[in-house]
Amino acid sequence: MATKKTTTKQDANGSTLRLTAEELFAEEIDALIKAETHPVPAGWKMSPRSVLTYICGGKCGTLDITPKYIGHERLVEIAISTLVTDRALLLIGEPGTAKSWLSEHLTAAVNGDSTKVVQGTAGTTEEQIRYTWNYAMLIASGPSEDALIKSPIFRALESGSVARFEEITRCASEVQDAMISLLSEKRISVPELATEVAAKKGFSIIATANTRDRGVNDMSAALKRRFNIIVLPTPKAIETEIDIVRKRVSELASNLDLRAEIPSDEAVEQVVTIFRELRSGQTLDGKAKVKAPSGVLSTAEAISLLANSMALAGNFGTGVVSESDIAAGLQGAVVKDEEKDHLVWEEYLKNVMKKRGAAWRKLYAACSEQNG
Amino acid sequence: MFAPHIFGVRHLSPSGGWHLRRYLDDIKPKIVLIEGLSDAGGLISDMVRPQTKPPIAILAFTDCQPVRTLVYPMSNYCAEYQALVWAKENKANVEFIDLPSSIFLALQGRRGAAAEAPLPDFDEAEKTKNDSEKVAEQEDEADDQLEAASPPEPGKLSLYDRFARSAGEDNYETYWERRFEHNLTDHSYRLAAYEFGKGLREFDDDSPHWRAENLVREAYMRRCIDQVIASGAKPEDIVVVCGAFHASVLDPAQFPPMSDAELAELPALPSKLTLMPYSYFKLSSQSGYGAGNKAPAYFELLWDCLEKSDLHHLPALYLSSVVRHMRAAGTHRSTAEVIEAVRLAKTLSAMRGGIAPTLADLQDAAITLIGHGERSVIAEALARVEVGTAVGSLPKGVSRTSIQEDFEREMERLKLTKYQSTTVKQDLALDLRENRRVKSDEAAWLDLNRSFFLHRLAVLGVDFARKQLAPRDNPGWAENWVVRWTPECEINLVEAVLLGETVELATAFRFRQRLDACQRVGEAAEVVRDACECGMMESMETARNRLQALATETSEFVSVAHAAHELGMIARYGDVRRFDASPLLPLVEELFVSGALALGSSAHCDNEAAKQIVIAMEELNRVSLEYHERVDEDLWVRALSELSDADDRNPILSGYACAILLERNKLTGEELAREVSRRLSPGIEADLGAGWFEGLSKRNRYALLARLPLWEQLASYVESLDAEQFKRALVFLRRAFGTFSPQEKRSISENLGELWGIGADHASEVLSNQLTEQEEVKLKELDDFDFSDL
Repeated sequence: MATKKTTTKQDANGSTLRLTAEELFAEEIDALIKAETHPVPAGWKMSPRSVLTYICGGKCGTLDITPKYIGHERLVEIAISTLVTDRALLLIGEPGTAKSWLSEHLTAAVNGDSTKVVQGTAGTTEEQIRYTWNYAMLIASGPSEDALIKSPIFRALESGSVARFEEITRCASEVQDAMISLLSEKRISVPELATEVAAKKGFSIIATANTRDRGVNDMSAALKRRFNIIVLPTPKAIETEIDIVRKRVSELASNLDLRAEIPSDEAVEQVVTIFRELRSGQTLDGKAKVKAPSGVLSTAEAISLLANSMALAGNFGTGVVSESDIAAGLQGAVVKDEEKDHLVWEEYLKNVMKKRGAAWRKLYAACSEQNG
Repeated sequence: MFAPHIFGVRHLSPSGGWHLRRYLDDIKPKIVLIEGLSDAGGLISDMVRPQTKPPIAILAFTDCQPVRTLVYPMSNYCAEYQALVWAKENKANVEFIDLPSSIFLALQGRRGAAAEAPLPDFDEAEKTKNDSEKVAEQEDEADDQLEAASPPEPGKLSLYDRFARSAGEDNYETYWERRFEHNLTDHSYRLAAYEFGKGLREFDDDSPHWRAENLVREAYMRRCIDQVIASGAKPEDIVVVCGAFHASVLDPAQFPPMSDAELAELPALPSKLTLMPYSYFKLSSQSGYGAGNKAPAYFELLWDCLEKSDLHHLPALYLSSVVRHMRAAGTHRSTAEVIEAVRLAKTLSAMRGGIAPTLADLQDAAITLIGHGERSVIAEALARVEVGTAVGSLPKGVSRTSIQEDFEREMERLKLTKYQSTTVKQDLALDLRENRRVKSDEAAWLDLNRSFFLHRLAVLGVDFARKQLAPRDNPGWAENWVVRWTPECEINLVEAVLLGETVELATAFRFRQRLDACQRVGEAAEVVRDACECGMMESMETARNRLQALATETSEFVSVAHAAHELGMIARYGDVRRFDASPLLPLVEELFVSGALALGSSAHCDNEAAKQIVIAMEELNRVSLEYHERVDEDLWVRALSELSDADDRNPILSGYACAILLERNKLTGEELAREVSRRLSPGIEADLGAGWFEGLSKRNRYALLARLPLWEQLASYVESLDAEQFKRALVFLRRAFGTFSPQEKRSISENLGELWGIGADHASEVLSNQLTEQEEVKLKELDDFDFSDL
């Protein structure tokens, strides 16, 4: 796997679309490791407390650690404690509640490596979880250590680090089943080579699953029992959500080099308000009910919507995010199932947004035009 | 010079109780002084009797209106109770040294006055105030003060929470538990609590009133300590148990005690004291009382572990209890999950540098492992393990008010005591009829007497039993109750002592109060009914007299009809309650007459008021049918006919009167046809005609459907209307037919189809066909039509 490592390193000079967490925050991670005062568990790069500081923000010497996950510090504490007790961790939540985001940062902090990922799909096979063969070599020289292609989980087990399993419920049940004995026995046997690889201390798995997908390939009780389960909620307070959106949008803007100004605080607040109201089916003051559209309208979507409107403004507009840029994004985010959502959105515009007064008028006009 | 030993605790802290006992064993004081109502000293011997089972509480109340109460709860594990027990075992003197209840209750009132604008829930909160040195409670008091004194600031933390935050914990509970409850080193608790209290005093606080009250209490406590020393006790033989907050300022040698003059200046209200059983449910703030201890059953677990000196088993004990409750409720969770949960809880605690997991750590571990991430799954099991359902009990005859004694006697007589032993809801089904298989009269009418008793409690506002709504097919002799004994019942009961010495006397007094206040016939009728359900004939007689007096003064049709109906029902089903309904019957007659006479004049009204009158007409009509041999039926029929014929009354009521007459067979088909054609003649305003029809169609629809001439009239009426009038009539007709079932609507249109010569079959066929385009256009036009008054 050494080859793969070097390629990513080379790409880190600016041409990579998306840097991994450990590359993006290398400075913070290094500082935390240097300043470590608490005991470090086997296989970890830093102590659990430092992992907490890395994710929830704080101070390390003179360096400010930026918070990566805002709002539910206690859940992060539980997640880290889970990994300390060598249990596997399962993060569940609505789409866009930062499950993968949290799992990536956890592995980045714990191991300095968030790349051991199995991306679960309906087509994921058991080999992708355990191991497969380089068939040319297998046929040429029979089963051997060299012909073995190890899965990310295999590698994590071998090196005593944390692997990630994204969207575990999208995999077929029999593929999920492969995890059961792996998690309880903490070893993978390779009968072809007549060997067995035992996990080193520090091995664990962080899986993520989507609540909206429950029932598609629902996890078996046996598998669930092997995970510590944490349900990630949508941000409780609107202020938290606005914070998250604003922070991520400005990060994205600098990463993606969007040539536009960051949307105004007012615009962020408006977008988050609209998302929250449509998501919860009522206005923020709780006085009026609104219909909910078919989509999820997660925080993550609000972030990408604003980044998208910045791209629009930068490339085709004045460089300042205007109401019509946001309206175009909102139209795309809210109206997914053409017929029904179209009406839901129109109703919301007319009944809620129109009555909100001067501050909202421009956005209302732009949205009505888009929806027209 | 020696100073008295002072041991600061947190109220209801198990570790405080444990450390205190060890400390007392070590010092062996001759006198133990405890922060508690100083006039409650006489109750101490009852509190530590072997039959007494905590949780119990001292209840103080003013014996004048408005009743103010104070509750000072104690659990088995709290330091104050353990101090009492130790003193009894070691034959040491024990005294309470906080302000007496009379001053406390008076200060309570002053506090309300100082706040100037009492919040709506302020009284409620006041009631729960405790005189005890309950730190958590002071926190609430502080909150109340803040809210009352200044506009509430969102997100404002209490003094204690701010203190906890400054130490890096999320809340005060966790802060306290992590720092104090798990530390078993000798003297650690006392010294730490002392420093903690001192630190708290230095923390700035912006509720001057709360602070002032504390200073008064501390001065009084010093006065008590000083008196004990003055009476010859050596200071080193005294141990003072008080709240951590006061621990640093109680030495009378360092700070001045309260002088006689100062004491005389304090306000006082006459007050009484009693002991009452308490419950863990009530102790936990989950029941709405801000006081005490969020998880009393959990702390009892902690206490038990301390006693057995295996505190490290607590996490396993707690989590396996949760799982046991889950299993009992039918959700299986494995032992492996419990093991993992214990490990997670320990790791969580270690991350904060704690010695052992706190309740918050255990809860989070339980949610993650046992709840699979969802709190809701295990919420009930958590409540059972943390709060529990334990109720305390007191030996018989222990200081009770007269009404409590009467209540006990009655409960025993009626064999209801078993419902008092838990706080879980239980069902009680009563059969009011005589039980013929038993010998004594008492047993034969047991259920009836129970019903009387429970109704009386309900009238007194003692929320012990709630009557369930009777199902439709319920015979008159069956009653279903849900009974639930809560300590609140005890408080309500004590408050009721102001009304009378026994349950019965208090109920009678309550009835008198209600009668004096009532202004309307209907209210008086309700008192009559309640008195009848309580089996209190004298009260019923008084109520009847009052009702009669009111009835002569009023001629309001709706309430008179309601009262007549109510009394009629009581008289009809009265015998099941073994009472003689005959005195009621003349009153029914009287009310009936005044109702029948009032009908005509009250029918001048708008459609909104007419809705009430329609119900009242129905009720009075039922009375006339049920008591036809007694009441003046002709008068009623006459009143109805007048209304039916009148053109100047509310048309809906006229129509309804006509419908009643039709039902009673006082109107022939011919007369009806004439009336219909008169009402629906072309010259009459559309709203009058159609409104009348609406009233008519409110009753016995099948009789109407069967009368073809009626529909003939209606059809020709509709045809005679011009376009403008038709639109107006449409509103009323639509409303009239709105309540008909589809089946009925269909047969109406078939009737009409017959008349228009289309034939019934053809009509229904047309109706079930799809609309043609032309018809749709027509209906669209109606969309603009304003049905707004529907």
